[in-house]
Amino acid sequence: MIIKTIEIIGLALIRFIEEFGRVMFLFLATIVWMFRLPFRLHAIFKQMEFVGVNSLLVVILTGTFTGAVLALQAYHGFRLFSAESLVGSTVALAMTRELGPVLTSLMVTGRAGSAMAAELGTMRVTEQIDALYTMAANPIKYLVVPRVIAGVLMLPVLTIIADFVGIIGGYIVGVGLLNINSGIYIDKMIEIVELDDIFNGLVKAACFGLILSLVGCYKGFYTTGGAQGVGRATTQAVVIASVSILISDYFLTAAMF
Amino acid sequence: MTKLSVEAKVGVFVVIGMIILAYMSTRVGRIQYTGDRGYEVYAYFDSAEGIVEGGPVEIAGVEIGHIKDISLEAGKARVVFQINPKVRIGEDTEAVIRTKGVLGDKYVELVLGAPNARPVKSGGRIERTQSPANIDNLLKQLSSIGTDIKEITQSLSGVLGGKEGEASLRNIVDNFRQASDQLREMVVSFNQITEKINRGEGTIGKLINEEETVDNINTTLTSINDYLQKEERFRTYVDYRGEYLFDSNDMKSYLSLRIQPKEDKYYLLQLVDDPAGKKKVTETTTTTGGGSPSTEYREEIEKDELKFSAQIAKRYYNLGLRGGLFESTGGVGADYYFLDDRLILSLEAFDFDPDRNPHLKFKADFTPLHYIYITGGFDDFISDEGNESVFVGAGLRFSDEDLKTLLSDAPIPNTR
Repeated sequence: MIIKTIEIIGLALIRFIEEFGRVMFLFLATIVWMFRLPFRLHAIFKQMEFVGVNSLLVVILTGTFTGAVLALQAYHGFRLFSAESLVGSTVALAMTRELGPVLTSLMVTGRAGSAMAAELGTMRVTEQIDALYTMAANPIKYLVVPRVIAGVLMLPVLTIIADFVGIIGGYIVGVGLLNINSGIYIDKMIEIVELDDIFNGLVKAACFGLILSLVGCYKGFYTTGGAQGVGRATTQAVVIASVSILISDYFLTAAMF
Repeated sequence: MTKLSVEAKVGVFVVIGMIILAYMSTRVGRIQYTGDRGYEVYAYFDSAEGIVEGGPVEIAGVEIGHIKDISLEAGKARVVFQINPKVRIGEDTEAVIRTKGVLGDKYVELVLGAPNARPVKSGGRIERTQSPANIDNLLKQLSSIGTDIKEITQSLSGVLGGKEGEASLRNIVDNFRQASDQLREMVVSFNQITEKINRGEGTIGKLINEEETVDNINTTLTSINDYLQKEERFRTYVDYRGEYLFDSNDMKSYLSLRIQPKEDKYYLLQLVDDPAGKKKVTETTTTTGGGSPSTEYREEIEKDELKFSAQIAKRYYNLGLRGGLFESTGGVGADYYFLDDRLILSLEAFDFDPDRNPHLKFKADFTPLHYIYITGGFDDFISDEGNESVFVGAGLRFSDEDLKTLLSDAPIPNTR
């Protein structure tokens, strides 16, 4: 009984390390294949459109309302000690440093990460990936590299848009609804927010983009078990990517600020 | 409408992102003072607490530069400022670390000195600095002051409070009362002595009461004066003054001789012709057989008697104090000198008698000319015998210089 329990724990740890190792191998292979000719630019652009452009609306909505609700909440807190003028800087700092990158990444994980896992998983179970091997086209080069590149490049762009619309959302609520003085609101924001806050947020976003595309591709690439397996791979891809993003967010933040 | 290619969509998307990033960066970034525009000056602060590199440097609330570097040098904070080249600061500028906003952000304010001061060169030093007031230190000082005050009040309450303190306070009051009783007795006996002198009893009495003595004294003093003439500070004044008393419609006259051996000390001898006359109290003790001795006091007013004053005076800066005989009774007086001694306010208190209020006199003497002065005041103003009177008068005062000629040519005025 006791031994069984310990075995379960041990097995879980071994599985985790195994899986982590396989993700790392996939990552290494991606990097290696990234620099091998020919660059499949059109495939990269297609993925960029899918990950970036098509996520624009959802990111704008998320960013705007996050900024707005943040202003509303911060206002009620700051009003207790008459520091309403700091609402703007609070919203801007939170958006650029934390909420912009994290929320964007989570939204893109849900939209594009899951799609990557499902797509590649279906190709795996319908043996299309094996077919690629037989055609001497490396499936990592053909399928994984464009997705990872698109994730790393597009997430910062989406994040800066999310930051911007979030600040605008906060401004609308703070100045429009809560009657905080517009000049003070903007001035305080500019005074307190630093360039580093924005850039570190973008670096974080790039890291999250790597995580979500890599996890999505990995889960899809190694799918087994037919249609059910594809569904499981998709779910796992979203869960693992989201959790990894939140955990790595802590360590990235600790390292950066 | 042609459909946008994938590449175009991505391109537009990325460009939008870049534009937003560029816009936010320029708004947030401190690009006005990046680079090495302007010149550097430095200053030493006792404490650079709260200021940060890149923080603002202001003159009159206008940002004119930023803090470039903060380092420690010989226990002091060496702060380097980068200042806008258009702004010139003088050598007497003071750099002050100030606080702004609710959150207590620190910044450096330059307080300019005189407008024509020599400007500080690039790389020069601002000599005058002022570090921020440390709230901790302030509180520490305040609390130590509080402790001191507490100690004082505690020791005070230890001395004054409680039964012991009450007892000692009562003791002090008792002692004071005894002392004043003794003083009164002293005054009474002093009065008796002066009366004896007045009556011409004893050597002093004879000396003073006989007319020729006055002449003798005067001539003696003149010769002393002649002898001591080289002594610069030795002065003698002869002074006559008349006071017209409004209430009694009478004239009170004074003839004084003032011998001043030192600038701050003089002796005053004075004859007073008082219309109120001199009071004379005779004490008669009769002993009838077997009975206890009974004492009878009799007051006489001698209208024609002269009163006599002999005082010693000492001066401290503008304040003069006098003591001795005032109109044949013991007394004290104080003078206050104004306007190079040309205006003198005096208060005299004499004739202390346990049964009556003392004789108080207030007067103001003003000397507009060299010899002549005018006077005015209120005599005996707390009298309980109805003697109080406002008076005005005038007087003549001659110093020994004038006196010499006067004495040789003119006779001494008869005061009678």
